[in-house]
Amino acid sequence: MKIICIVKFVPDVDNIRYDFENNALDRSRVRLILNPDDVCAVSVAFQIKDRNLDTSIEVVTMAPVSVKTYMEDLIRLGADQATILCDKAFAGSDTYATSKVLAAYLEKQSYDLILTGTHAIDGDTSHIPAQVGAWLDLDQISGVTWVDTEGIDKRKAYFKVDKENEVIDFEVKLPAILSLSRESSYKLPYIKRTEIDRDVSQSLTFLNKEDLNISECETGDYGSLTKVVATHTREYQKKECHFVRADEEGIETIFRFLEHKGFIE
Amino acid sequence: MKKCLIFIDGEQVKESLDLIEVCRKLYPERIVETYAVSNKWIDPESLKGIDHTFRIDGDRIKEYDTRNLAYCISKIQDEYQFDSILIPATWIGRMLAPRLSILLQTGLTADVTEIQAENDQILLVRPAYSGRMMASIKPVGNGPVMMSVRANVFHNEISDDHKGDLIPFSYNCDQICGIREMGSFKKEKSYDIRESKVLISGGGGVIHNFEKLEELAQLLNGQVAASRKIVDKGIAPRYLQVGQSGKTVSPKLYFAFGISGAIQHIEGLKNVETVIAVNSSINAPICSIADLVVEGDACQCIELLLSRIRQYKEKNNSRS
Ligand SMILES: Cc1cc2nc3c(=O)[nH]c(=O)nc-3n(C[C@H](O)[C@H](O)[C@H](O)COP(=O)(O)OP(=O)(O)OC[C@H]3O[C@@H](n4cnc5c(N)ncnc54)[C@H](O)[C@@H]3O)c2cc1C
Ligand SMILES: Nc1ncnc2c1ncn2[C@@H]1O[C@H](COP(=O)(O)O)[C@@H](O)[C@H]1O
Repeated sequence: MKIICIVKFVPDVDNIRYDFENNALDRSRVRLILNPDDVCAVSVAFQIKDRNLDTSIEVVTMAPVSVKTYMEDLIRLGADQATILCDKAFAGSDTYATSKVLAAYLEKQSYDLILTGTHAIDGDTSHIPAQVGAWLDLDQISGVTWVDTEGIDKRKAYFKVDKENEVIDFEVKLPAILSLSRESSYKLPYIKRTEIDRDVSQSLTFLNKEDLNISECETGDYGSLTKVVATHTREYQKKECHFVRADEEGIETIFRFLEHKGFIE
Repeated sequence: MKKCLIFIDGEQVKESLDLIEVCRKLYPERIVETYAVSNKWIDPESLKGIDHTFRIDGDRIKEYDTRNLAYCISKIQDEYQFDSILIPATWIGRMLAPRLSILLQTGLTADVTEIQAENDQILLVRPAYSGRMMASIKPVGNGPVMMSVRANVFHNEISDDHKGDLIPFSYNCDQICGIREMGSFKKEKSYDIRESKVLISGGGGVIHNFEKLEELAQLLNGQVAASRKIVDKGIAPRYLQVGQSGKTVSPKLYFAFGISGAIQHIEGLKNVETVIAVNSSINAPICSIADLVVEGDACQCIELLLSRIRQYKEKNNSRS
């Protein structure tokens, strides 16, 4: 079977720095990582391939040229093909425009299953999987935490969704889109030593807007239907605040405070 | 007059109805007519504050069949031309809203937490970068204003007893849904930190003594919550997590032990009456929103406080 994983490389937000002067993220020192949910999606694909040898995996991203090395690593890890949708005109796309570009490519491909993450940790909209589903008219389910990688075939897949208060088992007819959640804890393997220097350029393809038959006005800033007009770190109103120490005297103050507010009965 | 459509998630009706407050915020100077559509059958009696509820006649759409739901709602929109469409950011809502936005060729703002509206100019504020930044988003294009709204941030406080009416709408599933539920199991019922009046919460500073919080929670009739660090380390389950990637809570008292209070944590605190922060550093960001800051070791503070409260309770008991 053919699996396509759509993936995004994101700034490692846990190690991000603010440029407080310009009120922006300092992108210069930010390392990119494969979005955590997408790590699970790709890992599931690898697991399916391990168990069903006639599986082929393609990873697709819409991103600047700079993700090339990251995509090459996914090939070294086991993907058969990597495709980067890349054009200056794509820059600044909101999710409407991004999903349109992804769908313009996917529409022309054959596949049995599309795997994605549920949400990306930077833009954080969680829109792309369902929007791609809408363009391609496919069923899509988010929050997947387990896929039956043994029982899967070209016609159907079994999977689980872990909701707050229940876990639901589903069956889905393929092709469909399953979006993994990082709570599934699927993990990527390491690149084998013999693979580290392998030349994988044959398996990597760049496609631009002409290749995808997308016009300038359908994508990027022009094609977007939402605009980010400002970003800011949040400011909080400073409250009137008392300071005490964690000693007998301080504890007495906390105690009186709690008593006064009615928290101690 | 403005017309707003609210999607009611059949599993989270109350949270969905809170979106009525968002309608008011969007159009502060206008009369707003509210419409509702749901993925489950809901007695319109329980939809207080909604003027009109759509009753879908025809094939039953499965609760999680967002494909047919989106087609159906897009047909409703074609006929009624709402000014805005509001969808709660629940599991279903987050799959439905993006799909609908494509069918309607409309921009969609995700997970909105604040509305800025002036003279019909609308800006939608939402967290991004896992809550570290806030972004102001402007909808452009000709479609309705569409957004998913973060649960528990807006509250519909105005009690409204007028009864709305039902509008039948006929829709037959053009698409066959390929998803089928095979079974489910309910997780052990746990408490919901969103409903707690008192939360005793811990972060990186109590990583080795997190269990101590439980005793204090019991003495103060409260419940234990946690920051992301504790949850990621597997010390507390995910449903106890406060913050952007966890839950938004509004207790009367929030006791923060060893929590630095990065923005994505503070983002999860809405309308909290009182915050007490215990931290070894008074420069921790959480201190800037606290009413009372306790400088020092969290563990020592808990021990001392426990024995002070016990002493009080014993005295009280022996008196009565
Ligand atoms: C601060 C900020 C706020 C924003 N707010 C909005 C908004 O409210 N509405 C809006 O429409 N746009 C918004 N955007 C733009 C939006 O983030 C971008 O369009 C982005 O490309 C979509 O990514 P996401 O992080 O939202 O993806 P998500 O939808 O959260 O990603 C989910 C999954 O989709 C797949 N995926 C996502 N992006 C790609 C890609 N480029 N290539 C391949 N697969 C992908 C991955 O599998 C990923 O796990 C915002 C951007 C910023 C910086
Ligand atoms: N023993 C301690 N008692 C109280 N606060 C602590 C202690 N050790 C660390 N902290 C604080 O706990 C917070 C941990 O934050 P984080 O690493 O973001 O979870 C920081 O703000 C520290 O200052």
